[in-house]
Amino acid sequence: MAAGDRNAVSIELGHFALILACAIATVSALAGLLLWRSGQRLAQVLAQASILQFVLVAVAFLAVVQAFVTSDFSLKLAVDNSHSLKPLIFKISGVWGNHEGSLLLWILILVLFGALVAVFGRRLPADLLNLVLGAQSLLVAAFGGFTLFTSNPFARMSPPPLEGSDLNPILQDIGLAIHPPLLYAGYVGFSICFSFAMAALISGRIDQAWARWVRPWTMLSWIFLTLGIAMGSYWAYYELGWGGWWFWDPVENASFMPWLAGTALLHSALVMEKRNALKIWTIFLSIITFSLSLLGTFLVRSGILTSVHTFASDPTRGLVILTILAVLIGGAFLLFALRASSLRQGGLFAPISREGALILNNLFLATAVGAVLVGTLYPLLLDALAGTTISVGAPFFNLTFGALMAPLLLVLPFGPLLPWKRADLVAAGQRLAGAAGLAVFLTILVSALGGISISLAPLGLLLGFWVTFGAFAELIERGRIGRIPVGESFRRLVGLPRTIWSTALGHMGLGLTVLGIVSVTAWETELVTTLNPGETAELSGYTLAFDSFEQVPGPNYMADTGHFTVTAPGGGAKTLEAERRTYVASGMPTTEAAIETYGLSQFYLQLGEPLDDTHVVRIWYKPYILLIWLGALVMAGAGVLSLTDRRLRVGAPQRAAKPALEPAE
Amino acid sequence: MLVEESKRLGPMIFWSIAIAVTAIACAALLYAGRGRMVNVSAPESADANSHFRLVLAGIDADLAAGKIGAEEAVGAKGELAREMLRAKAETAPAVAGEMGQGTLFAGTALVAALALGLYAFLGSPNLPAQPLAGRADVAAQNMSLDTAIERIEAQLAANPDDLRGWTVLAPALLEVGRFADAANAYGRVIDLSEPTAQLLTDRAEALLLAADGTGSEEAMGLLRTAADMDAGHVQSRLYLGAELTRMGQYEEAGRFWQAAIDLAQGDEPWLQAARQGLAVAQNDGVDTTAEDQAEMIRGMVGSLSARLYAEGGTVEEWSQLVRSYIVLGDLPNAQIAYDGAVAAYPAAFDRGELDSMALAAGLKLNGAEQ
Repeated sequence: MAAGDRNAVSIELGHFALILACAIATVSALAGLLLWRSGQRLAQVLAQASILQFVLVAVAFLAVVQAFVTSDFSLKLAVDNSHSLKPLIFKISGVWGNHEGSLLLWILILVLFGALVAVFGRRLPADLLNLVLGAQSLLVAAFGGFTLFTSNPFARMSPPPLEGSDLNPILQDIGLAIHPPLLYAGYVGFSICFSFAMAALISGRIDQAWARWVRPWTMLSWIFLTLGIAMGSYWAYYELGWGGWWFWDPVENASFMPWLAGTALLHSALVMEKRNALKIWTIFLSIITFSLSLLGTFLVRSGILTSVHTFASDPTRGLVILTILAVLIGGAFLLFALRASSLRQGGLFAPISREGALILNNLFLATAVGAVLVGTLYPLLLDALAGTTISVGAPFFNLTFGALMAPLLLVLPFGPLLPWKRADLVAAGQRLAGAAGLAVFLTILVSALGGISISLAPLGLLLGFWVTFGAFAELIERGRIGRIPVGESFRRLVGLPRTIWSTALGHMGLGLTVLGIVSVTAWETELVTTLNPGETAELSGYTLAFDSFEQVPGPNYMADTGHFTVTAPGGGAKTLEAERRTYVASGMPTTEAAIETYGLSQFYLQLGEPLDDTHVVRIWYKPYILLIWLGALVMAGAGVLSLTDRRLRVGAPQRAAKPALEPAE
Repeated sequence: MLVEESKRLGPMIFWSIAIAVTAIACAALLYAGRGRMVNVSAPESADANSHFRLVLAGIDADLAAGKIGAEEAVGAKGELAREMLRAKAETAPAVAGEMGQGTLFAGTALVAALALGLYAFLGSPNLPAQPLAGRADVAAQNMSLDTAIERIEAQLAANPDDLRGWTVLAPALLEVGRFADAANAYGRVIDLSEPTAQLLTDRAEALLLAADGTGSEEAMGLLRTAADMDAGHVQSRLYLGAELTRMGQYEEAGRFWQAAIDLAQGDEPWLQAARQGLAVAQNDGVDTTAEDQAEMIRGMVGSLSARLYAEGGTVEEWSQLVRSYIVLGDLPNAQIAYDGAVAAYPAAFDRGELDSMALAAGLKLNGAEQ
């Protein structure tokens, strides 16, 4: 009887928990933003309210998960997105594989970050905490209300159908279980920066202490976003079966734009924390980054970005989203316009200085965001206003984005070597001479060995090597490597602040990614052919033998399975299995590519559609492709390293250490 | 009955939990606002200088740990002092005073009103969760008959006056071959409700099957009562005809056979058997037409089976085929026909009477595990 009672209320209790959380958020937002000067007592109540919001939304989320796991088809969301035969992990991931569920996940992460601020921000001044939690609650109330009134995940069905519609088979993948939560953690994490920016603008107070609070949140979100994008890219690479890793499609751009803006914000907040400068930049980027995150989540999620016609099909939902975005983003920028001029500029610096270099960095990244934004939105606007359908494809992005990134990559290694306030470019250049020489040498060597397939390849290689090796210049300098005994150098390197290691690793990661991109773009080989079992094909020295073909039933699909053997140039045969699956419930086909890794390179095989009595087989050899994601992992790891630096929290200025170590400056 | 109960109790339970949750949340908010320490440490966050103290402590700790030198520590402290002066210069906006108790109560009340009101508008408190595994409609499709019987029997053990339980259980027991239990179950149904001709006949049928076809006094009594009770009831008359014929009471048997035939519309599957029974009864048990009839039946069976295997047919047609073979004494073919019927109708639910007939004739019920 007890179990019956629990069952009788679990879904509706989740529904109620979500509503209660939204009610708390609404009242918190009003109180926090209107009565922010009310001091400590309000801060305590708002902190408690933020924790309550998290607990309640977590209950709501778990209720939906439970309905999916138990195949409770009285929940409409489960009917539309689940199936009793799905494996457990995909029943769970199916919760956020749709509009309503992903909104719920989005809100869950939003309130999680709010609760984290409430728990870890207990030392924040009461005014600031009131405003931050008030702004965060406003976001919860806005998106919670949107969810409840236009996209309620708790919509019910009575009587319940016997079976649900299957989840899109492309989404039945472990990638879906991990990719969106990571991405959302990144997107939503920037909401904290946004709330902090709002707090600063409303109270008119912004200082180094403020920047010190904002930076870990920025870093944390940036790490999640980096991992989320890399994960998404790798997922598309192995799941979609086209062998592509980046398509410049609106969905990808939507996650890439906040990343670019977030990267700029990260650097900007650094300057603010250390030098009390770039305040306006930091506030501006905080607003921009979260605005782009909102754009990424909602415009893509609602389908508006892919087609204006989706908007027309559900006008209420689209209109409400647009209104919320307009009010939040527009309101933020209005506030920015009114208050930015009153933000006192601090920390003077010369154009050639680390501050100057970071402004250059911000300019390039902001322009890149603009380029991607135009490329993503222009076709949509043109379609909406003039009815003309155009497609902005990879050539546009490669050209504009590449042209903006090349100079940025060129100056990047100089940045960490420039001191604050005033710097000597020549001195920094001298210290980078070794890295430059090494980069030129390797570029010539690789170009000679690999052949120049596209004219820009050597330039790309040069930039990649330059950034990768240049990242170490500061470490070499600080460790005095080669000038003092090895043991002594090692001791110095270990003793360096982790932020210095983090900078070096982060930039090295970027260099690795660039190298991977250039290598795959310039030297990838591809073969499309028809093969029968027993026949072989050859590509880039690799021999592929089609051993056998069979049809195998899977748990909820039928698979055409091809067994292959691939032999590397140096010998060593490995067996591969590539599949074409047809899902029973939906009849949708998917391809499961076979991928074999050789070092950092991959051999990629896709079994195409059957053609009369033969099979179309597509094969790619992708040299050093893993560098692309390895680089991203290194970047994220560098972020984690930076977060573990206790100086980030207590903020002991590291500048003071410099003169003692480097009297030459 | 259980469903009814949960439908009635569901919203009540739900609203009590919802109100309790709201009360707890509001209490937590009020508690935080009473000035007690819940999650925020009041003095520290009120102190604008706490940040600088923290930094200073960090520098001292670094110095003590030997991470920075004395000279660097002095530099860092100098930097900190400058920062502090800058912060002091930016005069903090005057605190407007602590939030009043009234505001706190009003806010909390607003939360409760908003949440309960909004839920009343959006929610479905009377709709219970229905996980697939616990759903009766799916259970009927997926659960094995044995499991279903076990479950119902367990429920009946606790609640022996559940008429619906006995009503569902009786035919199920008949289907799995527990005839004596089925007879008992029908007995319970009759005790708990108004006896009808059909119920009495069902119990009699179970008794007959339990006694391996030997009519008992009780069964015959039930059948006679049923036939008296409902002048239009065919099944009881057919059983009476057959049993009385077997017992040698041909005259009375003939009356029942005739009564059944009179009630027929002309296309009933049992009509042929009834006519044959009547003929036998009229000849005092000697089946003179047996040869002719067997010939006729064989011809009919041949065309029927050809059609069923080629085009398929209704359960009644398959039952007729099986019955015909049984009548002809051709059990191997009856078995084949029965297997064919099982292939065409895999769900035992659909076959119903066919299974009891096959069982009575001693055929192997390969579909019984359904």
